[in-house]
Amino acid sequence: MRSGKYWAIFKTQVANRMAYSGDLAAHSLTIVMFMWIFMQLWRTTYSVSGSDTLAGLTLHHTLWYLMLAETIMLSKPRLSRGISQAVKDGSIAYLLNKPYDFLLYQLSLGLGDSLMNTLFNLLAGGITVWLLVGPPPEMWGWPFTLAAMVLAWLIDFCVNALIGLAAFVTEEVSAFEWIYSKFLLLLGGVLIPLDFFPGWLQQITSSLPFAYTIYGPARLFIEPSLDRFLSLVAVQILWILLLGTLVTLSYRKGLSRLAVNGG
Amino acid sequence: MVNGLKKTFQTKRKAAGLSGSLRALVHPQYQQVEAVRDLSFHMENGELLGFIGPNGAGKSTTIKILTGILYPTSGEAEVLGFTPWRQRRQLAYKIGTVFGQRPQLWYHLPAIDTFYLFGKIYELEDHFIRQRISFLAEAFEIQDLLETPVRKLSLGQRMRCEVAASLLHQPRLLLLDEPSIGLDVVAKQRIRDTVKRMSELEGVGVLLTSHDAGDIEALCRNVIIINHGQIVFQDKVSNLKRRYLTSKLVEVRYAQEVSPTFHLEGTENLKIGRYGVKLRFDTRQTPVEGVISRLAEAGSLVDVTISDPTLEEVIRTIYNEQEA
Repeated sequence: MRSGKYWAIFKTQVANRMAYSGDLAAHSLTIVMFMWIFMQLWRTTYSVSGSDTLAGLTLHHTLWYLMLAETIMLSKPRLSRGISQAVKDGSIAYLLNKPYDFLLYQLSLGLGDSLMNTLFNLLAGGITVWLLVGPPPEMWGWPFTLAAMVLAWLIDFCVNALIGLAAFVTEEVSAFEWIYSKFLLLLGGVLIPLDFFPGWLQQITSSLPFAYTIYGPARLFIEPSLDRFLSLVAVQILWILLLGTLVTLSYRKGLSRLAVNGG
Repeated sequence: MVNGLKKTFQTKRKAAGLSGSLRALVHPQYQQVEAVRDLSFHMENGELLGFIGPNGAGKSTTIKILTGILYPTSGEAEVLGFTPWRQRRQLAYKIGTVFGQRPQLWYHLPAIDTFYLFGKIYELEDHFIRQRISFLAEAFEIQDLLETPVRKLSLGQRMRCEVAASLLHQPRLLLLDEPSIGLDVVAKQRIRDTVKRMSELEGVGVLLTSHDAGDIEALCRNVIIINHGQIVFQDKVSNLKRRYLTSKLVEVRYAQEVSPTFHLEGTENLKIGRYGVKLRFDTRQTPVEGVISRLAEAGSLVDVTISDPTLEEVIRTIYNEQEA
């Protein structure tokens, strides 16, 4: 019964997103455009280098990697914005008068949001890349990739929640949002697979959470192996535990100093 | 039960202009705002209590403390046996809330989806949810509206759905914060009637805030008026009417010019314009009927408006009386 309410919230949010399926479809045009641009960029890079593989990856690998990386990046809910808005304009007060956990409520909403976005982005991005460089990587790795994507989503949820909750202290959080998204782009591996980085930089990225949100699942997708999967999941779970604890603590702290704006 | 409740907010102060902003950056100054000062009252089970006051009086803050959203600075409160800010979630199962300015129904979905969602959130059984929805749909006359996306409903229709949704889990106390804001007279009346009927039927207590004295008059037996976070009046609605809602304001417009010395016995002129007059009279001494018929005799009427004194005027009268 208890978890039933969060399942219901998730389902309602999926229905809510489906109320505007035209909008969803239009959004997925972004990934089509991105993949086409990436194709032009990387085709030139590979042909200039004169080699079939760069940093151990073929053009086919790189494009499918970027498709999954962009899917994760573009399908993330804008939770921090929602949470900080709720804190700023006081509407958090109206979300708190029902018997549910505010963070789990946000989590269920976010999952509902992401599910629809991911489906549309995977479809549009997948078809585009298939047409450009041929069929996707081995199918047996897909379920593992999917599991890693869910964990990656949870890491991102925690970071987003932390940023959103920072509004309890700073009111305005767009600077943090901006910094986080740039970290994901560069250190997370959205713009370029981390394999292309020099060794010392790869070392740094592997000790930060960003790589486990984007690079981890995308790399697993193009070259699935059980070893890769297990070591990825282990680190992902560590990050979720650490960040999850931080989120819970800051939420409790924030709530006690809640001064609701707007009367 | 509320005893000596206090809530102080700290807000930043800033002098005007850019130089003020710079100064606030280096040396921020804070101001203590007392939203609620030493509030005490008691409410019976199933009672309909009106809570009125002008904007910024502390009504919403009180409601937020009573639902457990805000921690009070000091004082005690007990709602249905719970201390709201310590047992917010347990309390949430027993109370229903409607905030006129913050819709709870999902905007893009039909209301029935939110009803089912709330049912799950309150951990109700499926068959109970279905039964309850059809019961409420009939009581609030919203059967035909439930499957329309909420964004396509009129404000009055939406409010009926909002109030119905808040009663889904059979709460023992309903907190209505400005439920009639922005509604027309007919829609207001409909909401009032249904709330009253539901309260009688299910014994649910209602705490209603409004800045419209009419809401309170139609619904509640007891009333509390607060201003600047303090109670200025606490008694039966009938006593409020008898003591303070004794005068009426009349505005008339005539087809021809009005004499500057216009006067009607038993009334007090507030304003004399070229074609119109605004006056006030005490209904205990001068019956409405007499005033209207004499106004009609005085010239050919174009327009007449009769109104009650505003809440602000009532509060002013109460203050004057207390000082005297």
